[in-house]
Amino acid sequence: MYAREQISSESGFQEPGIADVVVIDDEESMCEGCRQTLEAEGFRAATARDGTEGLKLVEQAHPKVVLVDLKMPGMSGMEVLAKISEFDPSIVSIVITGYGSIDSAVETMKIGASDFLTKPFAPERLLESVKRGIELGRPAKEPEVTERAAPPLEAPEKALLDKQNVVLKGLEVLGQYYSLGFKERQFFDELRSLESEAKYHADRLGQVKEKGQAVLDIVGDLRLVDGIIQKYAYKKNALIQILLDIQMEFNWLPRHCLEWVSTRLNIPHTSIYTIANFYEALSLEPRGAHLIQICTGTACHVRGAAGLVDRVSSILGIEPGQTDSEQLFTLETVHCLGCCALGPVMVVDGEYYSSPSTKQIQEIAASYKVSREKGENYAHVELSH
Amino acid sequence: MPTLNSAIDLEKLRKDILAKRDPNKPCVTVCSGTGCHAYGCEGVAEAFVMEINRKDLQAKIDVRKTGCHGFCERGTVVVIFPEEICYLHVKPDDVSEIVQKTLIEKKTVDRLLYQDADGQKIVREGKIPFYKHQNRIIFGNNRFIDPKNTDDYIALGGYGALSKALFEMTPKKVLQEVKEANLRGRGGGGFPAGRKWESTRNAPAEPKYVIVNADEGDPGAYMDRSLLEGNPHSVLEGLLIGAYAIGSNEGYIYVREEYPLALENSKVAVEQAEEYGLLGENILGSGFDFDVTIHRGAGAFVSGESSALMSAIEGHVGEPRPKYIHTSIKGLWDKPTCLNNVETWANVPFIINKGADWFKRIGTENSKGTKIFSLVGKINNTGLVEVPMGITLREIVYDIGGGIPNGKKFKAVQTGGPSGGVLPESMLDVPVDFDELTAAGSMMGSGGMIVMDENTCMVDTARYYTEFLALESCGKCVPCREGLRQMLRILNNITNGEGKEGDIELLQELSEFIQEASLCALGQTAPNPVLSTIRHFRDEYEAHINQTRCPAGVCKELITYYINPDDCIGCGLCAKNCPTDAISKTEDKTYIIEQEKCIKCGSCLTVCPEKAKAVVLKDALYARY
Repeated sequence: MYAREQISSESGFQEPGIADVVVIDDEESMCEGCRQTLEAEGFRAATARDGTEGLKLVEQAHPKVVLVDLKMPGMSGMEVLAKISEFDPSIVSIVITGYGSIDSAVETMKIGASDFLTKPFAPERLLESVKRGIELGRPAKEPEVTERAAPPLEAPEKALLDKQNVVLKGLEVLGQYYSLGFKERQFFDELRSLESEAKYHADRLGQVKEKGQAVLDIVGDLRLVDGIIQKYAYKKNALIQILLDIQMEFNWLPRHCLEWVSTRLNIPHTSIYTIANFYEALSLEPRGAHLIQICTGTACHVRGAAGLVDRVSSILGIEPGQTDSEQLFTLETVHCLGCCALGPVMVVDGEYYSSPSTKQIQEIAASYKVSREKGENYAHVELSH
Repeated sequence: MPTLNSAIDLEKLRKDILAKRDPNKPCVTVCSGTGCHAYGCEGVAEAFVMEINRKDLQAKIDVRKTGCHGFCERGTVVVIFPEEICYLHVKPDDVSEIVQKTLIEKKTVDRLLYQDADGQKIVREGKIPFYKHQNRIIFGNNRFIDPKNTDDYIALGGYGALSKALFEMTPKKVLQEVKEANLRGRGGGGFPAGRKWESTRNAPAEPKYVIVNADEGDPGAYMDRSLLEGNPHSVLEGLLIGAYAIGSNEGYIYVREEYPLALENSKVAVEQAEEYGLLGENILGSGFDFDVTIHRGAGAFVSGESSALMSAIEGHVGEPRPKYIHTSIKGLWDKPTCLNNVETWANVPFIINKGADWFKRIGTENSKGTKIFSLVGKINNTGLVEVPMGITLREIVYDIGGGIPNGKKFKAVQTGGPSGGVLPESMLDVPVDFDELTAAGSMMGSGGMIVMDENTCMVDTARYYTEFLALESCGKCVPCREGLRQMLRILNNITNGEGKEGDIELLQELSEFIQEASLCALGQTAPNPVLSTIRHFRDEYEAHINQTRCPAGVCKELITYYINPDDCIGCGLCAKNCPTDAISKTEDKTYIIEQEKCIKCGSCLTVCPEKAKAVVLKDALYARY
C-alpha cells in the first residue's frame, strides 16, 4: 500500500509507465538514498519495500532498470528477478547485495541480471551501473555495428571487419558453450578482456599469432578448463587439484586460464597466485617442449649433481628454471627422483641418464633439435647406463 | 570381481585364488619400482613375455611385474621363484639366455648372479649379504606382489587383519593392541601412534578423518614411495583398521605429484578395493563404512607437516598452522584428524595379525619393530633396507651397504634429512633407535640415510641443506624465513672463501634463535645440519675460513683442476668432454686447462684414463697455487 503512496507522494509523478528506475529493497535508507541519488541525476525513480509491491510497481511503471535487493522478507530477490524477466525481458535488472552473498550474485547473473552492486556502494557506482543498464536496454546499438561494417572496404575498415567477425564468432562459441545468459554487451566486455589476454598469451609464447585465432584458441582453452573444473564439481577446495590438471594439460598455467578459474570458482586472483607461486609443480611461465630434470637430492648432491647442473647449463645456455628461446628445453632441478643408485641422474621427458658425460649431453640436446626440425616431438638416444 | 559381503567371502576368495595357483610353477618377477624403471625394467619384463610366448611356454611360466625389491644398486633385479634365483643388472639382451638356461634347462646364468668379496657366487636372493642382514617384514612382500593386482595381496593373507579387526575385535581392542605394541610414528617424530589414535577417537566432534601422509619430501629418501608403489594395499588395510579403531568414515591419501607411479598404483588399489567391497559402504558386511580420496600434493617440503598438509587438502596454501590444539582434536576442517605416515599405517595389519607381543619382540626398549631406510650416497649397495630397531649404524653401512666404494674413507652418515644431523665415524656404533639417535645429535627422521666419504665437504653439505630449507620455508615465521636466509648467506661466504672469523659463532647464535622462535618443525629443526656439522667437523669450517681451503675438494671457488704435464698421455679425452672448451693442446702434445674458462664441473677428472691420472684436483685457488 504505502509503496504506491510513495510513488504518488514522494516521487512526484502520477502516470504509470514513466519511471526510469525502480528500486526494490526492504531497507528504507537504501531506497531513499538510491532515489535521491538518481533523481539528482535527472532519472525518475520509484521505490518499493518488498517483492510483491515491487512487481506491481514494475508492471505499472514499466521502468528501464530495476534494482533488486537479494535478501528481503517474503518473496526473495531471485524470485523477483525471474518474474521481472518473465514480464518483460528487455527490462535490465541490477542486483543489490550484502557482502557475504557474492555467490548468489553470480547465480543471479546467470538468470539474467546485468550487474550487481555490493552494499555499501558509492553514489557514482550506482549511477554508472544504472546508466550502463539503460544503454544496454536501448535497442539502438545493433544498427551502429552493421553501419560500421557497411562502408567500402579500405584497409583499416577491413581489418576492423575481420576483427569484428572474429569477435562475433568467438562470441557465438562462448554463447553456445557457457550459456550464462549474459547480455550481449557483456559478452563484448568479456571478449575485450579475452582479446587483451590473447595478445598477452601470444606475446608470451613468442609466437605472433593472428589475434582472432588467439581469441578462438583461448575460448578453446577455457572450454578445457571448464571441463576440468566440472570434474571437481566446482568445489573450491579442489583448487590445487584443478591447477595441477591445468598444468598437466598446458604444461604451465596460462594467465587466462587462471582468470577463468577465478571467475568460475569465485576465488580471488590473489589466492590462486599464492598457490601457484607456492608449489613447485606449478609454473607461471611457459615451459619448453622437453623437460630436463636434474636430481639434486642429497644422494645425487654428494655424488656431484652440482657439476652436472653446471655442464648441462653451459651446454644448453640456460640456467635451472629457465626455458630456451626456442621453447625446446626447460631445465629444472628437482629434489630427489628416488633412483639414488644412478646418481647423479638426469631425466629427459622420463628417460633416465645416469651421470651423463659432456659428450652424451651434447648428443641428447642435438638429437632433440634434429627431431624438432623433422617435426617429431620425441627423440631418444640409446646410451649405455 | 565379486563383491565380498562377509569374512567368509574373503576367505573363500583367498582359497580360490590359491587353488588356481601352483606354488611350484616357475614365476619370473621383475622389479618395477622407480629405481629399476630408470634402469629400463619395462624392457626387461617385455622381453620375458615375448621370449616366453615365442617358446610357447606361457602356460608353464608366469611373469610378474612386482614392487621394489630394494637392491636398487643392481637394477634391474629379476628373481625366479620357486627357487628364488636372483639375477642382478639384467638387461633385455640377457632375457633369452635366462629363459633357455634357467627356465628350461634349470641351470643358473652365473654371470648375472651376485658375487661376494671372495668371488663366491650367490644364487638365492635371501643369501645375498644385502638382504641377509635385513629383517624385511613390511617391505618384504613387495617382491611377491604385482601392485596392480589385488589378488596377489589377498593370496598372501591380505585384508585378513581387517577382517580380524572388524569381526573379532572391538574398535577399543584394536586401539589397545596398537598402543600395547608401542608403534611409533615412522614419519620422523616418533610420536606413539596409539596415543594419537586414542586422542582422535576421544575428541568430541564428528566427523573424524584419517590421513596417509605420503608427501615424502626428504631429498634422498624414497622408502614411503616404494612402499606405496609396491604394496599399496598394505597401507590401505592399515588405514582401514585405524579408521575402524578411531571411528572415522573418511580418509585421504596425500601423495606427491612427483611420484607418478605411487599415485597410479594407489589409485588402482583404491578402485579395486572398492570393487571388492573392501572400501565403501558396509565393508565385508560388517556395517563399517569407509571412503578414501587421493589428494595430489604439488611439491612443497613444508606441506608434509601435518597441519600444512591438512591446509593443502582444504585447498589452501600448504602452510603450517599453530597447533595450540592438536590436529587430533582440531585438524582437517577443524575436525579431529589422525595423520600417520605410509610406513606407520603399513605396520598396522602386521600388529593386528600377529599381535602386539610379537611386534614388541623386535627392537629396543622404546623403539619397537623395524624401520625402512633409504641407504644412499657414497655406498656400495644403494637401496632400501628394512632393519630391526637396535641395529647399529655400522652394521647398516658395512654389512648391508657393503661399505664405501672405490676404497675411499668413510666420513659421516646423515640421517633425518634436512631436519637431522650428521654422525661421524666415532658414532657408528649408535643403535637405530628414536631416542638414541636424538641423543647423538641427529634423529631417526623418515628414513633417509646418506653416507658420505672423504670427498664430501661437510660445510657444503650444511650449505646444501640450508639452501634447501631456505627455499622450502613457507615464509610465515620471520625467524625461519630471514634467519635461514642469513645463515645461507654466511655459509655461501664460507664456501666461496670469504668467511670471516666469528662466522661459526654467528651461525650457532642464529641457529639457537631459529630453533626457539619457529612455529613448526621445519624451522625448529632447520639448524640441525649446520649445528651437527659444526659439532663434529669444526676443523673443516676453520679450513675454509682461515686458509680458504676446501679439504674435501668440493667447494668450487676454493679448488682448481690442473693437468700434470708429466703424466698427460695426450689422449684428448678431457678436451672432448669439456663443456666450455677450456682445455687445449700444447706444443708438446699434452693438454692444459685455461683457468678463466673453467667452470670446475669435474668432467676432465672423471674421464682421464686410470693409467694416466693426469688431471688433479688442488684444494686451493689457482691464484695461490
